[in-house]
Formats: sequence, structure tokens, C-alpha cells
Amino acid sequence: MTGIDLVRRMAEGDRDAFARFYDRHARQVYPLILRIVRDHADAADVLQEVFWEAWQSAASYDPGRGTPEAWIFMRARTRAIDRVRAIRRRSETFVAPVDERVAAAAADAGGDAAERAEDRDLVLGALGQLPEAQREVIELAYYGGLTQTEIAERLTQPLGTVKTRIRLGLERLREVLNRSP
Amino acid sequence: MSHEPFDTLAAVYAVGALDGGDLARFEAHLREGCSTCETIVRESSEALAGLARERPPVIPPAHVREALIRRVDASSRPRTSRRRWIPWALGTAAAAVAAAAFTAGMVASRYEARLGVLARETAQVREQLRREQALLREEVAAARAVADLLRMPATRVVALNGLAAAPTASGRIIWHDQAGGRLYVNGLPPAPEGKTYELWTIAGAAPRPAGTFDVDTAGRASRPVMPPDDGPVKVFAVTLEPAGGVPAPTGPMVLASAK
Repeated sequence: MTGIDLVRRMAEGDRDAFARFYDRHARQVYPLILRIVRDHADAADVLQEVFWEAWQSAASYDPGRGTPEAWIFMRARTRAIDRVRAIRRRSETFVAPVDERVAAAAADAGGDAAERAEDRDLVLGALGQLPEAQREVIELAYYGGLTQTEIAERLTQPLGTVKTRIRLGLERLREVLNRSP
Repeated sequence: MSHEPFDTLAAVYAVGALDGGDLARFEAHLREGCSTCETIVRESSEALAGLARERPPVIPPAHVREALIRRVDASSRPRTSRRRWIPWALGTAAAAVAAAAFTAGMVASRYEARLGVLARETAQVREQLRREQALLREEVAAARAVADLLRMPATRVVALNGLAAAPTASGRIIWHDQAGGRLYVNGLPPAPEGKTYELWTIAGAAPRPAGTFDVDTAGRASRPVMPPDDGPVKVFAVTLEPAGGVPAPTGPMVLASAK
């Protein structure tokens, strides 16, 4: 059964379709959430919320706007960023902005050895084929949840430069990933 | 006007980084049905999904699947309408602003500046609402998780008492041996600079780290707790540790459950 059929059945209330959808995607979605929130208990919480919302809003999925896989990854990324922001807002003693986590990871100063090794492996993947300046802005936006203005402030670069780097980086990613599906 | 600026906005939108007036402008453009932008957004989202797919798979904890199946079984069919009104209201308000901008542009260009201001204000209000909505969603999810937990017969409440290092502190853990639970703390002083609180579960020989947390200005904190993989928990304890947490306790114990 195709992914689109699975989501359509979920929209009709088919619980088995939901279980299959979860089994098909959870082990790819979980590491993405983990990469963003960096805490196993929080990541498990977010994972549950993402799939629960997918079940509830399966009827609003529009195949014309992307594959079910992109749909669930997009939801997972958004909820994970929401979680990081909520944690930041709730703990008022934590004064560093959300991006410190990403900066720490990028500088290899944070995370355990396994996480650092994993980040290195990734750089060898599609992201690794991007010029450093483009990789940086995409990581800050996609994994760090920073907006274009926040990235520009953080890197002390003009807003226009940041936007252009994001566009060029994504164009390159599309080329790299579409060439080797 | 050339389409080129929108190529860039579409890419920034796809990676979730568009904000301010750019966001309002691009969403209005999308609503006019620009197929070029739809394609860029769609292809960029697929590329980002491809990026996520490159990560080595990690099997999530089994309790997540179990909890989801329970929730899905308990809900007879998907219900979406009740939670939809906020995005709907936002969409309608933004659509009204966009439609107004279009008409005004035709009639009198002097209104454009005012409408630009209005669009920016709308974008700011939307962003604010989006953040508040995200926070509320978090809180609802946490409350719902605890309600689910309390429904399970084997769930119990474990009391944590403040020790000499934090005599005013107290805590409760809503706990289920298989499903895990949630920690609530009161009266704990904020951790000093460079430090954080860390929760431990003691089931086997050595304490297992169960996550770090910081308290708010009123000394309160709450966080989810996962069941450890070394058997039923006998004791919960909280220590003060270097920021970021440590794999084994090193600092003073501030809270502990009775044996």
C-alpha cells in the first residue's frame, strides 16, 4: 500500500493503517526530533504528539503538496522546535537563546561522543556537499528553529545574504538528494 | 514585478525561517495561487525530508507506540474541527488583509503604506499567537499525558522530600513502572549559574540519569520521566549537577523519595 493510501485510510478512521503508518515512519522521525530537542524523554513526548496529530488531521493531508513522508517530517520538525521554545520560555533561569544548543553542537562542545560522531557522519551526507556558509544557515533554520532575522543577527550578516544562502543551499540540496534518491 | 524575490522567499519559507513582513507578503502571494512557489516549497520540503532520512534510524521507546494505539482506540474517529478555529480565524484575518491590500493597490496607491504597516502588525500578532498556541499545546499535551497515566490502575504517586541542601523543597512523581510518568517540584531554589538539577532513578546497582530540569522563579518545575531499562524504580532522587547533566551523580542531593 502506498503512503498516500495509508494516510487516506487514516482519515477514514482505519486504526490498522495508523499502526502501519507509525511503524513505517517512527524510526526515521524519532532521530530528527532527538536531533532538535536533545533529550530522550522530551523527544518521546514530541514523537507521540506528532503522530497523534497526524492521526487527527489525516483528512487535511493534500497529496498535491508533498509526500506523506515530507508531511510527517515537517510536522515533527515544527513540534520539536515548539518544544525547545516552550522549554526555553518556561525556565526563566535559562537566559541563553535557543540557538546556543545548535552553536554548541556545531562547535563540537556539546552532546556526548555518540552525538558528535553522528553529527560528523551527517556532514559527510548531503549537507556535507554544501559550502560551509550555506550548510550553517540551513542547520540554524531547520534544526535550530531560528528565523531569517535571528540568523542574520547571530551571524552578523545582512538579512539579504542570509536569505540568498538559504536559497542556494536548498537548491544544492535538491540537486544532491534528487540525484541519489 | 519580477518573480525572482519570491524564489528566495519560497526557499526561506520551506525551511521555516521566514518572518515579519516577508512572511505576510509571501503568504499573500501563495494565496494568489503561484504554482512556481508551490513547486519550490514542495521540492524543498522533500529535500529536507531527504536530509532527515539520511540520519541512521533509531527505534523509539515501545511505550510511545502503546500509548498512541491506546489513544487511537479510545477515539472512535479522527476529530479535527474543534481544534481548528484558531488557524481558521488567523487564515481568515490574513486573507482579509491580503484582499484589502490588492483592492487598495488598484484604487489608490497612498493606502499601500498604511496597509503595509497593517500587514506587518498582523504578521507580528500571528507570530505571537503562533508561539502562545505552541506553548498552550505543550501544556495541554502534558496534562493529557498525565490524565492518561492516572487512568491506568498501576499508576501511583511517589513523594519526594527536601533534604538538608534544600529543606523547603518538595516533589511528586506520578509514576507507572512501564509507562514512566511525570515529575513535579515545588520550593526548589533556582540552580546557581552553570548548574542544573538532575533526576535519577535507582532500580539496579547504579543510579540512572532521568533528565535535567531548571525551576521557574517560583521554584517550580515539571518534566516527563521515562522508565529506566534496569527494572522497577525503588528510589527517585534529585541532585545539583553541572549544566547539561552528567552520567552519574556528583553533586549534593536535594530531593529523594523514601525507600
